[in-house]
Amino acid sequence: MQTRRFAIVTGTLLIGLILVPLGALAQTELVVWHAYRGGEKAAFEKAVAEYNKAKGGSIKVSTLAVPYDAYADKITAAVPRGNGPDIFIYAQDRLGGWIEAGNTIEPLDFFLEDEITSRFLPTTMEAMTYQDTVYGLPLNYKVITQIYNKKLVSSPPKTSGELVANAQKMTDATVGKFGLAYAYNDFYYHAALMNAFGGGVFGADGKPTMNSAANVKALEYLMMWADEKKILPAEPSTALITSLFNEGKAGIVFSGPWFLGEIDAGVDFGLALLPTIDEAGSPMRPWMTVEGVYIGAPSQHKDEAYDFAKFLTDKPAGVIMAVEGRQTPANTAVYDDAKVAADPILQAFRKQVEVAVPMPNKAEMTMVWSPATTAMNVIIKKNATPKAAMEEAQKEVVQRIAALRK
Amino acid sequence: MNLEAVKPRRLAIGLSLALLFAVGFGLWLQARGRAGLSAMVAERSAIVSLNALTEIVERVGLEGDSLQGAVARYVELHDGVASARVIRFQGIRMMASTAPEDTGEQAAPRKMAREEKPLYDLGQSLRAAVETNVQEGRAFKTEIDLQKLPAGGVGLAGPVAEGDKIVGAVLIEAIPSVYQVGGASWLQALLVLVVPILLLFALVKVVGDRPLVLLLLAALLLLVAVFLHGILGLEALHEERMAAEAHISQELTLTARGLATILAQEGLTASPPLEPADWDVDRFRRPLGLVTESAVDEQAVAVREAGEGRSYINLMIPVTVAALVLLGFVGLGAAGRTGAALSRHRVAYFYVMPAMVAMILLVFFPFSYGILLSFTNSNVYNTDQPLSDIWIGVENFVDILTDFELVKTTEDGRVFNYQNFYWTLGFTIIWTVTNVAVGVSVGLFLALILNTKGLVLKPIYRVLLILPWAIPNYITALIWQGMFHSQFGVINQVIQMFGGEGLSWFDSPFTAFITVLSTNGWLSFPFMMVISLGALQSIPNDLYEAARVDGATRWQQFKTITLPSLKPALVPAVIISVIWTFNQFNVIYLVSGGEPGGSTEILITEAYKIAFEQYRYGYAAAYSVVIFIILLTYGIWQNRVTGASEGV
Repeated sequence: MQTRRFAIVTGTLLIGLILVPLGALAQTELVVWHAYRGGEKAAFEKAVAEYNKAKGGSIKVSTLAVPYDAYADKITAAVPRGNGPDIFIYAQDRLGGWIEAGNTIEPLDFFLEDEITSRFLPTTMEAMTYQDTVYGLPLNYKVITQIYNKKLVSSPPKTSGELVANAQKMTDATVGKFGLAYAYNDFYYHAALMNAFGGGVFGADGKPTMNSAANVKALEYLMMWADEKKILPAEPSTALITSLFNEGKAGIVFSGPWFLGEIDAGVDFGLALLPTIDEAGSPMRPWMTVEGVYIGAPSQHKDEAYDFAKFLTDKPAGVIMAVEGRQTPANTAVYDDAKVAADPILQAFRKQVEVAVPMPNKAEMTMVWSPATTAMNVIIKKNATPKAAMEEAQKEVVQRIAALRK
Repeated sequence: MNLEAVKPRRLAIGLSLALLFAVGFGLWLQARGRAGLSAMVAERSAIVSLNALTEIVERVGLEGDSLQGAVARYVELHDGVASARVIRFQGIRMMASTAPEDTGEQAAPRKMAREEKPLYDLGQSLRAAVETNVQEGRAFKTEIDLQKLPAGGVGLAGPVAEGDKIVGAVLIEAIPSVYQVGGASWLQALLVLVVPILLLFALVKVVGDRPLVLLLLAALLLLVAVFLHGILGLEALHEERMAAEAHISQELTLTARGLATILAQEGLTASPPLEPADWDVDRFRRPLGLVTESAVDEQAVAVREAGEGRSYINLMIPVTVAALVLLGFVGLGAAGRTGAALSRHRVAYFYVMPAMVAMILLVFFPFSYGILLSFTNSNVYNTDQPLSDIWIGVENFVDILTDFELVKTTEDGRVFNYQNFYWTLGFTIIWTVTNVAVGVSVGLFLALILNTKGLVLKPIYRVLLILPWAIPNYITALIWQGMFHSQFGVINQVIQMFGGEGLSWFDSPFTAFITVLSTNGWLSFPFMMVISLGALQSIPNDLYEAARVDGATRWQQFKTITLPSLKPALVPAVIISVIWTFNQFNVIYLVSGGEPGGSTEILITEAYKIAFEQYRYGYAAAYSVVIFIILLTYGIWQNRVTGASEGV
């Protein structure tokens, strides 16, 4: 009696053990890593749930939220060794480094069809391209734009002349009121001015151009705003900018979507395009950070991963990420949706991105930040002229790049 | 040196062991050289076939109707090429293929299938490599890809150009005929091993019982044997090399003739004329210049051989030195003594073995790898190359230690160079000294207070004062960083409350130093306090009684009783604290981040930034080795001076 019961139980267990993996065999499991929190995370998981529903069990996507600080290093360490996810979402600034390291990101040219590439803003596709090969599908972009206090600024300035005139009227440094406040000591924010004057970090041949005449001119223009016209606050930390704007002591701020979450409920704010610089004859061209969906090179399910990437960057998922996640998707069709079209914030960023320049995705970009920040600090504290400081930065960047080439 | 232990038998054993080791290593190197020669011929023949096919493809044109036919004829003519495929990037098309499955419906030209994606990606990466090399102006990335195929044979891929642009790729599967390289002469090796032993015994009879002379003679015999073996081996290798080059030259001739036939059949003019010598290239598509159709350039080959000969010598020198050491070890009787000790304390060594194995795997192996890495210039671009290819010897160390540019003159006057090693070293030393001083003083002070008899709530105080050490220092560092924020930080708020103006803590090196000092001081005093408390409680009270009776003041009591009794506990604690603080990564990285401008970096955070922001792994490894040497020197010196581990 005992042995029979034992035999039945063991038999059932064995059959169960065999059947369970068989059941799983029919289903492809994909893992996606991301660094979203709060509203963005909820929206993303909603989009993933929609995908899983649509696939009806043949493909199951599970997400893993990785804290932002360690995210890039985890990808670098885990993916090339086959321990990473099938898909991961990240900005384009580390793209070059990961491609050079090898076995991290799968090139997508083979899969791409014209109808897929044409749905994105061309500049976002550019951000996903490294050495003429496309490595990811652009998901969303972030740019800085003009955020103004409607009570203090009746109509946002369209040119730098208007900006300076209005700001000078508004500025009263004794009470700590400023017409214009933005983190101009952060090279990322300053890039908007730099690109307006035709400057840049790398030239067409891939060599650093930190000390180009255009860059120096842009910095001299910035110092004119700060010193001569005195419309900017000193030592502009992001915390200071936020507090100034919230206390009604700053008329205009140049910042991105991350700033909107910091604005107090009582402040009536509006968004407008960054002004055109009269002396440069070009609008301010901010850098855009493009978040892309990448497929891990060691992934065993690349076709399914690409299918998921296509879904995520398509219109329905884009609308979810835009309306609920407050992202600005790279898919142009999303902005025709009724809810998105009615949202002034999303439309404002959509208009701004038309003149934005994708941030360089070369591996050498990580070596630029430190010398650039030092140069900005030195110039703003007036410890060096723009020309001297940028020469120093250029030497430093060239030296660091050369050290990698020995 | 125990010269009495030198006996002819011991010397003979030592000499044979040393000879086996050195000559064995030499044989192995020479065998490797031969295998390398064989592989080189195979690789070069395969590359020649690839380039010849690329030549045809470029002349016929990717769009040419006769491309498929020309490629098929090429594979027919060439025994060494099993199959060939030509792809075009535009439109992702397979333009020609001689693979058996690509017939009928699947015949080229057609769109590439999903399984062929890796070929397309490979072609595109070759295109990117060519463009990068042009941009950099030097051979940075390989332009020909070579992979061993699982089914035997070699798969090669190379770019196809149209004018200036790379528009496609040629992929072939080659089964190069194995080129036999002559084997080692066993007779020679045997002679080299046996003759010196026989000579040694003969010399013993001649010289008699003079240990030093015998030892020197044995060493001389070893050196001569190794030297002769090396010379003879290199000579033989040279002969083989010339034969191999002649073989390649023949292959060039045959391939050129075959190509001429195909061109004629396709009705293409042979102009510009074929340059077969340009087909013999390295993986960067740089012509080797060693052979032409008719001849071998002996001088060019000699130049390359000289390089290989030098590396042979460089490797054999340390091996020969090791062999000499082995000879001495055995000959002077040390080997005998070690063996006896091992067998006498068998059980003890057996107990220690698991720990030794674990240490070797977990500590010594990563450690030695780090040291090896410091002699290379490993960075993100060359992680796939073997270490011997990127070896640069002590260049990293020279760069670090001889960079004396501490002060830079810029347009606006003299400024400290914060990236300089000596600035960082100086800052690290100041950081360590001040931190340990603060920690010890505060810790000792609090321990003295806690040690007062009859103190109420002592357990509560103890727990509260240990908390700084108990909280993970990562969290502590982030909290302190927030407290020093110039706008919202608590510290500035308090200063403002008292009417002052808040400081911008991270804007000047000195104030940034104060921030990290306070953080680490807060973190490190509990450790010192606990150690001091423990030591204080072990001081017998009668000493203080006696001192009080003798009329000593409290300060004298402290100086003469307390401090000396604390020494055995505090000194090891200070050594540990110095080493921990020297390498206190978390506090510096999280609180000041090295701001402003790298002035508050310590050596370990600088090494981290070099490795993970500048991607220079070799240089960062050298930095860590320097840190290790500094700390090791300090540890040894401190140990000797204070006799801290005398009891052990």
